[in-house]
Amino acid sequence: MESTTNHQAEPPALATGEGKPHTDSLPGSSGFSHVRMPWFAKLTIEHRVLAGFSLVFVGILVITAVSYHNTSILLSNSRLDGRSHDLLQLLSNIDVAMNEAEDAHRRYLVTGEASYLESYTKVVHQKPAFTTYLRELTRGSTAQEQRVGVLDRMMDKQLNAESKAIALFETSGFRSVKKMALEGAGRRELGVIHQLITEMDSEERQAMNGRVADSAVGTRNTIGLLGIGAFLQLVLLAWVYYLIRHDITERRRVAGELQRRGELLEAANKELEAFSYSVSHDLRAPLRHIDGYAALLRKSVDESLNEKGARYLLTISDAAKQMGQLIDDLLVFSRMGRQEMLRTNVNLEQLIKSILADLRLDLQGREISWTIAPLPEVKGDPAMLRQVFVNLITNAIKFTGTRSQASIEIGVDRPSSAEIVIFVRDNGVGFDMEYAPKLFGVFQRLHRAEEFEGTGIGLANVRRIVHRHGGRTWAEGVPDKGATVFIALPTRSSES
Amino acid sequence: MNAAKPILLAEDNPRDAELALAAMEEEHISDKVVVCRDGAEVLDYLYCRGPFKSRLRGNPAVVFLDLKMPKVNGLEVLRTIKADINLRPIPVVMLTSSREERDLAESYALGANAYVVKPVEFHKFLSAVKELGTFWGVINEPPPEGSRSSHPHS
Repeated sequence: MESTTNHQAEPPALATGEGKPHTDSLPGSSGFSHVRMPWFAKLTIEHRVLAGFSLVFVGILVITAVSYHNTSILLSNSRLDGRSHDLLQLLSNIDVAMNEAEDAHRRYLVTGEASYLESYTKVVHQKPAFTTYLRELTRGSTAQEQRVGVLDRMMDKQLNAESKAIALFETSGFRSVKKMALEGAGRRELGVIHQLITEMDSEERQAMNGRVADSAVGTRNTIGLLGIGAFLQLVLLAWVYYLIRHDITERRRVAGELQRRGELLEAANKELEAFSYSVSHDLRAPLRHIDGYAALLRKSVDESLNEKGARYLLTISDAAKQMGQLIDDLLVFSRMGRQEMLRTNVNLEQLIKSILADLRLDLQGREISWTIAPLPEVKGDPAMLRQVFVNLITNAIKFTGTRSQASIEIGVDRPSSAEIVIFVRDNGVGFDMEYAPKLFGVFQRLHRAEEFEGTGIGLANVRRIVHRHGGRTWAEGVPDKGATVFIALPTRSSES
Repeated sequence: MNAAKPILLAEDNPRDAELALAAMEEEHISDKVVVCRDGAEVLDYLYCRGPFKSRLRGNPAVVFLDLKMPKVNGLEVLRTIKADINLRPIPVVMLTSSREERDLAESYALGANAYVVKPVEFHKFLSAVKELGTFWGVINEPPPEGSRSSHPHS
């Protein structure tokens, strides 16, 4: 977690060649989670929250599916229970009807009363319906279906036997059926039927009991699952909450730390600037004295001074002046770092035009061919950006001083939408790329003092200003062929 | 012309004082210059006390004031001068090595009449001091003695 947030909170690194190492992580930021779950620490908070919520989601899905399944079983069991009740009723009806058929046919055989025959015939007519219902209500249960088959045959047999007895009675009279009238024509079948019905009854009741137990277990399971599920969801949610909370705390801590460091850095920087200003300031007084007393000395010994002595005095005051220039440059450089920055649109085209107009006098007697591309508008501090281009252009003019035909090009490049690159290219004395990293340093010079004048502050100022605009600088050169200095400014303004 | 009125130079550094005097010498006004070595001495001079108890009464034509001085610094002296109804008319020129914006702003806010940064190069320093001395000590007409500021001090 820490490494991720650190990374996000870090300011965008400048892709310059100076290679200042960035601090990788803050001390004391390795939390326990690092040690316990290194793979987990690699995930960003977004991934972790996503993972947490996915788990919750999957949990809810599983619980829903299982509950649905259990409820369906309960529903189908209750449907089956309804059928079982119907079957039990039907079986009892059949039992009664078959008993009645037996009873009615015997009474008819004995008395010959038509009302008994009617009762009997009613049962005969009911029988096909019984069979149809039985088959319907036992569909799906093999054992019961088999019994229904046997039961059907037995009912047919009983009724057939009784019908035969009735027919015999009607043709041959009571005598021929006396035995049957006493014992019952389908007595044996009736017993079997009765037994079958009892069996089916008990089987069905058993099935019902089984289903009741089954449903109870299912209900218990569902309730348990819901409980466990709810608990797990709560745990997961608490975990996700903890993660987010922890991350927020961590971010706050890192932000606080960054702010503290920023303040420290700013304080240190201010102190350094104050120091450099004060040093530059106090150094000016003795320099003034050196130059002043050298001048007074020259004046007081003017007549007796020989050529050598005069040169010595001149060197003393030249050295003092040079040091004065260095100090002034340092002061400007220091001011560039402290000065409040403006943020306006700067028309580079006009800026370059006005700089060239100011330099016109210095360019007398020089042959320079200028190539200036159409330049864009950028956001920044006009005075500072002017300083940048004054330095770049005067450098180009200075270092092409040995060329009879100098050429200076100012161009634009747009490598990406995030920044705009402006370069100043000359065909002057150039430089060895080996020394390129030194080019933008304070008081760094790549040429001897007698070759080209200057203290070596120009490009340092360029870099400082461009950095303050959130940009970067670099240069390319070939000795005796020329140099190109590039500055890249961000298209979206940001002060660093 | 104000030939009689002295020029008060407040300068703690003896070399700077000597160089300034050398410059004034060339303009033949060095004998008008009174050098004070710190802010307290400047105030003693202006209020005619201590070593200046018996000096000729009257305000100087101009005060050249360094910022960095021991005891009482330039800004404090300036504040005292501009707060005193009798001293306020005296022209005060800040003559300093500080180019710092804060010093500039504060000096003018306190009522300094000019602010000159001492150049490093002697010939520039020379011409600056010469011009200052000539202008404020000779050309400029100082306020009449006993004059009071028309504005009450705020």
